[in-house]
Amino acid sequence: MAGNDKIKSDRRFDACSVTETSSGIPVKEVYGPEDLEGIDYNNDIANPGKYPFTRGIWNNMYRGKLWTRRVFTGLGSTADTNERYKYLLGKGASGLYCFGDTITHQGIDPDHPLARGYAGVSGVSIVCLQDMYDLFDGISLEDVSVSFNNPSMAAAIVYSAFAAYAEDMGYDLTKISGSILNEPIHLVYSMYETNAKPLNLAAKLATDVIEYSIKNTPRWHPIAPNAYDMHEKGANAVQEMAFTIAIMEEYIQRMINRGHDIDEFAPRVNVFGCACDIDFFEEICKFRAARRVWAKLMKEKYGAKKSASCRLYLSVHTSGNSLTVQQPVNNVARVTLESLACVLGGLQSFDPAGYDEGYYILTEHSALTSLNIHNILAYESRVASVADPLAGSYFIESLTNKMEEEMSKVIKKIDDMGGAIKATESGWIGSEMEHELIKEQKEIEEKKRIIVGMNEFVVSKEEEVPIEVGRDRPLEEQMATSKKREDEIKKMRETRDKKKAKNALDNLREEAGKGEGHNLVPLMMESLRAKATLGEILGVIREANGASYDPYKVLEYSL
Amino acid sequence: MESSGRKVKVVVAMPGLDCHDRGVIYLSHVLREAGMEVVYLGKFNTPEHIVNTAIEEDADVIALSYLNDHLYMIFFPMVVELLKEKGCGDICVMAGGRIIEEDRPKLRELGITGFFGQSAPTEEMVQHIEETVRKERWKEA
Repeated sequence: MAGNDKIKSDRRFDACSVTETSSGIPVKEVYGPEDLEGIDYNNDIANPGKYPFTRGIWNNMYRGKLWTRRVFTGLGSTADTNERYKYLLGKGASGLYCFGDTITHQGIDPDHPLARGYAGVSGVSIVCLQDMYDLFDGISLEDVSVSFNNPSMAAAIVYSAFAAYAEDMGYDLTKISGSILNEPIHLVYSMYETNAKPLNLAAKLATDVIEYSIKNTPRWHPIAPNAYDMHEKGANAVQEMAFTIAIMEEYIQRMINRGHDIDEFAPRVNVFGCACDIDFFEEICKFRAARRVWAKLMKEKYGAKKSASCRLYLSVHTSGNSLTVQQPVNNVARVTLESLACVLGGLQSFDPAGYDEGYYILTEHSALTSLNIHNILAYESRVASVADPLAGSYFIESLTNKMEEEMSKVIKKIDDMGGAIKATESGWIGSEMEHELIKEQKEIEEKKRIIVGMNEFVVSKEEEVPIEVGRDRPLEEQMATSKKREDEIKKMRETRDKKKAKNALDNLREEAGKGEGHNLVPLMMESLRAKATLGEILGVIREANGASYDPYKVLEYSL
Repeated sequence: MESSGRKVKVVVAMPGLDCHDRGVIYLSHVLREAGMEVVYLGKFNTPEHIVNTAIEEDADVIALSYLNDHLYMIFFPMVVELLKEKGCGDICVMAGGRIIEEDRPKLRELGITGFFGQSAPTEEMVQHIEETVRKERWKEA
């Protein structure tokens, strides 16, 4: 007999209230053949491995090669990171990931006054050539790909250090593979804008890396624009891809202006580092649509003839913003869902976020869990067996079309503004992102977006099942780590052959003042070999281009 | 919210080199919507700059945010000390972001309040600011 004292489900008749995707594209209750009207299979979709690559860039997709299975790494000293690399390689990782610390992103050295406490914090400090020796000690670079997450102008120095190291170690440079983020424009609205300015100089240096790399490290991807950070700072799925493509056009144009043929470099500048958020179908369609937009752009706008120029490689770090600090174990479910979208979306590589990302850098345990999400999807679930299994779905194809249309509109708009640098300098892209960010946060607060454990289905602290999460090192330890690094760099500065370092930097300075057509990578490599540091190298390049030596205007050139 | 003929004035800032500014961007929007005046400094500030701005602007509140690492335990106390040094200890200092539990007693001792985490409702922040400013700075009953 029903009574008031018995517990009843108050959600028994709940219905799904979603009527649009995360980026605001309306979705119907049901899709049918009428939604595919006007689609020409061979032209618009085509088989996997065929232009416009909607269904993926290889004909047999994961039967040919599984996606590269990476896990976020970059912690403490270069030696700590090296140790984690070896651990992950032993557990089945097929690629390495290197996240720079805060000051590496900022392009300042550990002994800069503002760097105090930051060296080796939330990433690894890369300052000089020796760091590459320490990072990759005992690891064969010809047999593993390395992905560097260095977005700012500092990327040019990190790449130069990597190239110099690989060359000096006697590696066959044609066998070195991996990527470097190396895209500073997006930083203006997402992270470390201080080291993205002057924007034209930053874009020039990034282009130098592209130009040097296609010739000397031909399997390397010298730019992998950071769609991820733009998404995490507000850009919705459509904007994320559209802004990134518009930004890439800046580099394509620069390479063309330097006299390179589109087919000479396009096959190497076609990797995007994206986010994958919780809106499962929208994310899958985002990947499919972006490949199509890119392919058409290369062929129709830039006249690419090679099929390889039209292939867009997609890599992902699953969205950190989608995770919660409450009940971190729930994040395993979120990350798995997002990772599945990556596989069904036909990605080339991704790294599932750690369930404790909201706390700190992954623990060994959360890193292993992330790696096993890969392993479960790749080896246990059978989801990787068929290429683009969702193709032909009325909903998927219709949403892919709609997203392509929306992305193209945004790209056209930026084009009309004079390109991504102009649209950045005018503040347009930044304000579009801020608008979306505020909208999203409002929807979370108004519970129009449900986040389990955060704004709905909340449990008290006492009810939470304790789980090990990454913890900050205590302040004293953080300061000590940073101080140790600061001392190392100071010592290197004192003991190096000063004259040699000065000569190398003088040569670099002279060349850096000559403008666009003078590629600085060889002289950056020479400066690194002469034990010049990240801050010094960037400093002289900045000065030669009319900017202050130190982006924070604290230090002056002292060699 | 208005008292003594003016709006509550809040300096919103992140000290140091932390770049996680989603929270402060949204918070500034919310505070403006709630009728407060916001001086938005965003990320990459020295404690000196934050304090000088607050004094020049005659702000009621400094709202600090930090997520990246542990250095807030240096920056936050520095802000309080500098305020005292300059005889402006009556400006309320509030903190949010990823401030771990064990650090809070020490910060509370310095007079810092708030400690709103990554997903705290902004409504609570608005209310906290209003109440604290009335009580501590405007000395209203």
